[in-house]
Amino acid sequence: MIRSLSDISRLALEKGPKKLAVLAPEDEEFMLAVKRSWEKGCIEPVLIGDRDKMARVAETVGFDISRFEQIVEHDRQTVSDLGIGMLFSGDVSVVSKGQITTSYVYRSIIRAEAKAASGMTVTVVSIWEVPEVDHLVGFTDSGVNIRPDFKTKVEILRNAVFLCHLLGYETPGIAVLSGRRTFGEDLPSYADYESLRRMAGSGCLGDCEILEATSIAEIFLGAGGRLKESVNEIDLSKTPHIFLAPCLDTANILAKLDLAMDIKRCSISVTSRGAVCIPARSDLSSAIEDQIEMGVVVADRIQEGVR
Amino acid sequence: MIGTFQKMIASARGGVRARLAVPLPIKQDLDLLCRVTEEGFILPVLIGDGGAMESLVKKSPLSSLEHEIVNVGEDPGEALSTAITLVREGRADILMQGGIGQKPFMEEVLDAKNGLLKSKTASYASIVQFQRREKLVLVTDTFINNFPGIAEKQIILENALGLAGILGMEEPKVAVISAIEQVNPSIPSTLDAAALAKMAERGQFGKAVVDGPLDMDCALSRVAAARKNVRSVVTGNADIYLVPEIETGLPLVQALCFFGGMKTAGMMLGAKVPVIPDVPFISDEERAAELALAVLMTRKGGNHE
Repeated sequence: MIRSLSDISRLALEKGPKKLAVLAPEDEEFMLAVKRSWEKGCIEPVLIGDRDKMARVAETVGFDISRFEQIVEHDRQTVSDLGIGMLFSGDVSVVSKGQITTSYVYRSIIRAEAKAASGMTVTVVSIWEVPEVDHLVGFTDSGVNIRPDFKTKVEILRNAVFLCHLLGYETPGIAVLSGRRTFGEDLPSYADYESLRRMAGSGCLGDCEILEATSIAEIFLGAGGRLKESVNEIDLSKTPHIFLAPCLDTANILAKLDLAMDIKRCSISVTSRGAVCIPARSDLSSAIEDQIEMGVVVADRIQEGVR
Repeated sequence: MIGTFQKMIASARGGVRARLAVPLPIKQDLDLLCRVTEEGFILPVLIGDGGAMESLVKKSPLSSLEHEIVNVGEDPGEALSTAITLVREGRADILMQGGIGQKPFMEEVLDAKNGLLKSKTASYASIVQFQRREKLVLVTDTFINNFPGIAEKQIILENALGLAGILGMEEPKVAVISAIEQVNPSIPSTLDAAALAKMAERGQFGKAVVDGPLDMDCALSRVAAARKNVRSVVTGNADIYLVPEIETGLPLVQALCFFGGMKTAGMMLGAKVPVIPDVPFISDEERAAELALAVLMTRKGGNHE
C-alpha cells in the first residue's frame, strides 16, 4: 500500500522511465521538474510547446533538450490536444500539464473520452500528504465539474475509488462533505450523501466505505461531540482516504490549503487511457516533480491492470 | 492590532464589564463563565430554573464571583425568549447559546420579527489564528448563509469589515476566493467576486482593499500569485477570506483547525448585540476569546446598536 509521496517517489524510480508528454513546459519551474524527473530515470519526456520559450528555459535550468522529441506548437488548445491524443493512442503513458491553463487540458480529455466512447467522466483528485496521517488523502472533484449533480457525483466517486485501488487502498473510507447544520433548510449535498451512502452499502460503488459524517468536525469529534482541549490533541487517524466535495469551489479551495499548512499536494486526473498530472501553474518544481512521479506510478499500475 | 487570542483576552481586561445573557447554562458553560468573570470583563446573567441554577453555581467557583440569576423556570423556550428580551431591552450586552439546542437558538435569534437581526442578513465570521504567524484572519460566512447571492455577500463583507475594525485592522485586505483566479461566467463565485472587487474600487467598502476572484494559492501566497501573473496587495497577506458559500466556508475553517492545528473562534455578526452560537470545534480556551471579542465589540459599538 502506498502511504506517502516518498513511497510514490521510490516506486517511480523502480517503474520508470515512462514516456511523458509535457504540455508547454515554457517556464523554469516546469522545465526544472522535467529535468530532475528525467535525471532520476522516472520519465522520457516529449516536449510540446513553443520552441523558443522551451529552449530558453531549458538553457536557464541547464537542461539539454535536443536529445528529446519536441513538437513545436503555439496554440494552447492544440498543444493540449496533441499531448492527450498521444496518451489515448498509446504513444505516451503519462501527460503532465505545464504552464498552460487547465481548462485546455480538461477540454482535450473530455473530447478524447467522447471520441473513445469510454463513458468516463473527467474528474480530478487533489491528493494531500499529511504528516500525521498514515495514508494519502484526496479531495475531489477539484478540477472539472463546477456543481455536480448526483449522477456526476457517482462518477466522481467511482473515479476516486479506482484511484484509491490503484494506490493499494482496498476499501477506501470516503467522507461526503456537506455544509449542513442543524438549522436552516436542507442542502442538496446532504441528500446526495444519504443516497451515496445507501449506494455504497449495496455495493454499487465498488469496494469502499462512506463514513457516517458530512463534516470534518464530525469525523474527528463524532456526532454531537465537541473539542475540549487544544486542537493539537486531535487524533487524525480517522482521516478518510477521500473527501467528496459538494462543488468545485470547495474541493479546489480545500486542496490548495497546502500553502497554509505543513502538507504536500499533488493533483491527478485518471482517464480511461492513463494518467494526467495536473500541477497548478503556481506550483514550484519540487511539487511538480511529486506530481510527475505520481503520474508515473499510476500509469504503471493502470498498465498492470490493477483494480 | 490584535494578533492572537491571548491578546484579545488581554485587551478586554480592565474596562467596563459586559452583561452576558446565558439561557440554561450547563456545567461546561460555568467553567468558562468563571474564567471570564475572574478576568473581569463579564458579568454573567444566568437565565432558567432558579433552584437548579443555584445548585449548579454552588458547586462551582462562580458562587464566590458576582453573577445574576433570572428565574423563569425550566422551559428552554422561556429561557431563550427571556434572554433575547433582556438584550433587546439593553439589560444584557451579549447573548450566548448556553444549554439551548443549536436549532432553536439560531431560529429564534434569526427570527425576522422577534429575533435580534439588524437587517435581513446576519453572518458568521470565523476568526483563525494562523500558524507560524502572529496574525488573526477572518473567514466568512462559515455558519449561517447557505448560498448567498451578491446582495448577501455585500452585507457579509460589511459585517466582517466591522469586526476587522474592532481587531484593529485599519485597512483590511479582503480575498474573495473561488476555484480559479479568472472571471469565468460558468463559475458564479467568480462573477460575485469580481463585482465585489469593483464595488470596493469605487469606495463602497470604505478603506478596505478587496480583490477577487482569487483562488486559494493566489490568496495565500504572493509567490504563487506572481507565477500566475496576479499582482495585488491582497495576495499572501489577506485579513479576510470571503468564501463562495457555506459548502466551502464550513469545511474550510474546519480543515484549518483539524489539519492545520490552528485555533479558531467565531462570532455572529449583523445582530443587535454580539451573539455567540456554540460551535463544536471551538475549544473552551477559544470560547473565552470569543467572549473577550464580544466585549470589545460592545465597548466600541461595532456590529450592534
